[in-house]
Amino acid sequence: MRNSVNRPPTPDAVEDQEKEPTLQEIINIKMIESGEKEKLMELLRERLVECGWKDEMKALCRAYIKKKGTNNVTVDDLVHVITPKGRASIPDSIKTELLLRIRAFLASAAL
Amino acid sequence: MYTNPKPCKHLADYKLRHGLSGYNLLQEQIRTTPSGKSSVKNHQTEIPRCCFCNGYQKRLYLCLICSSISCSSHTLLHSQCENGHDIAVDIERSELYCVLCCDQVYDPDFDKIVMLKHLMDLPRSGNGVDVSAGRRSSKRRRLCSALELDLKKTKQLVSMRDLRAKSCYPLGLRGLNNLGSTCFMNSVLQALLHAPPFRNYFLTGQRNHEVCRKRSSDRLCLLCDIYVFFSAVFSGDRTPYSPAQLLYSWWQHSANLASYEQQDAHEFFISVLDGIHENGVKARNTGECHCVAHRVFSGQLRSDVTCMSCGYTSTTYDPFMDISLNLDTGNCPSTDLANKSLKPSDNTYVSTLLGCLDLFTKPEKLGSDQKFFCENCQERQDSVKQMSIKRLPLVLCLHIKRFEHFPVRRMSRKIDRYMQFPFCLDMNPYLSSSVVRNRFGNRMFAFEGDELDTSTEFEIFAVVTHSGTLDSGHYVTYLHLKDQWYKCDDAWITAVEEEVVRASQCYMLFYAQKMLYYKANEDLVCQPVSPRADPFLPIAGCC
Repeated sequence: MRNSVNRPPTPDAVEDQEKEPTLQEIINIKMIESGEKEKLMELLRERLVECGWKDEMKALCRAYIKKKGTNNVTVDDLVHVITPKGRASIPDSIKTELLLRIRAFLASAAL
Repeated sequence: MYTNPKPCKHLADYKLRHGLSGYNLLQEQIRTTPSGKSSVKNHQTEIPRCCFCNGYQKRLYLCLICSSISCSSHTLLHSQCENGHDIAVDIERSELYCVLCCDQVYDPDFDKIVMLKHLMDLPRSGNGVDVSAGRRSSKRRRLCSALELDLKKTKQLVSMRDLRAKSCYPLGLRGLNNLGSTCFMNSVLQALLHAPPFRNYFLTGQRNHEVCRKRSSDRLCLLCDIYVFFSAVFSGDRTPYSPAQLLYSWWQHSANLASYEQQDAHEFFISVLDGIHENGVKARNTGECHCVAHRVFSGQLRSDVTCMSCGYTSTTYDPFMDISLNLDTGNCPSTDLANKSLKPSDNTYVSTLLGCLDLFTKPEKLGSDQKFFCENCQERQDSVKQMSIKRLPLVLCLHIKRFEHFPVRRMSRKIDRYMQFPFCLDMNPYLSSSVVRNRFGNRMFAFEGDELDTSTEFEIFAVVTHSGTLDSGHYVTYLHLKDQWYKCDDAWITAVEEEVVRASQCYMLFYAQKMLYYKANEDLVCQPVSPRADPFLPIAGCC
């Protein structure tokens, strides 16, 4: 009997590395599957509307459109312009609240 | 109003080649949350990922032709790989995207399919949206009847033009004597005197007081007294008038408010309209009331209560004669003191009328003690309530709630906060059609009640202001006639600059439909030369 017959298949080393999920991905997947992510997104939307963040972003968009002209702006443009400002202006209280919720979820999902 | 954006070249091409087939295939995968957000969720349990980079954190787009998913960085790559695959759907928002234009595009056919799926999925009865063929609203009829009020016999109004026109006041400006803390009444009466269809009703003889049955039997008739009042004010006589008969008549109607104490102007307003309604011709039990108060001031509010679990919406309609608004203060509940809030602190945030209207039509989460019994879930659930205006009146009265009551501490106080208000008001964003449409995101979809022929533009004609405290204060009305503002302070009438009005502390705002306002102003020609009064004498009087 040749040894080659019993030899296990050569592992595809490169493929394996790509498929190894990071912790972040695992958490994300778990959150989506359990529906928790959708709930948190709803909560986040609610809070951002309440504190006026959404109105602020709307105002920024309007100002940008006014500057460039309505026919010269695409949604992509707006997203690119608004995103850094949006991320920077999220109130700390909202960040804290969401982090606490995520932490609670992790604890309950025993990750 | 809404004009649908034109499709881009690529969308048009796609439609030519594929028609609705892509949309229809997609329809099955669309899921809408109770809050109204539509997403594309296919049957796979795995999370959607970009086919190029495996990423899942950016915006993801589903190709309408081959259903492959690309993230925002790679949509162009997909379009380059596959010729003609230019149109995609934003998975999370169910919105069309053109890869080559790098922009969102709109197609009523697509939105219709999304909306139909959403409506199909909703619990059967009470979905908050009626897709029935919109009944041709009676709005047009009401506007026509308002114009009739306007056009009929307007020649009866004095037409003699005073050639010394520049310095004379328009018709219908007359001081009202204070009969003992009656500025609350005087201020509202000044506003009523110049509410276009209301004014015309009384001045064009539609109120035929000679044949009034009540008067002939020596009983009091509020409508007749108002008619007499109008005649007196528009007679051309400029000496201050004492509306004693009207006051007495009103006391008879609202016995609980009959005293010499200061009353609330808004309460008086409601009470007078109520008196007119009761004194007027009895309407049939069904259908709208045709008394002048209702014809001029009544509109309809829509209230939607949505179950947060299943999305079932219960809708009710209620009539209104005016809308009471809470002041918007820019406070956000979730920010604590230590945290830097986005909006400046209370000291610098300026309340505006539009802000108050936004607040009025904002979805409001009902507290856990107000759980709504959901017909679909058959149990009490957390729910969200949202108000909107189903039908606008000819004259819109907006009442700013400036008196705050604390039942626990058994005290009340007045809110002196300044509120900015516009002279031209477009009520479109607060209509039910707009509010309900917004609930479903950025869709082009005709909802029942989308009244394309409705005018939503209003012009201000009167502002009732209050100064002082709850117990001792004073009401003053500013009237906007023929592009000039007049201050009506009991018996004293003076012309004032616009800035004065803008800076005043408004309590009740009166807006008329733009068309009616401008027509009414055309009729206000200068007064005739009265044998008794010199037209140039500034209106003054002793109180």
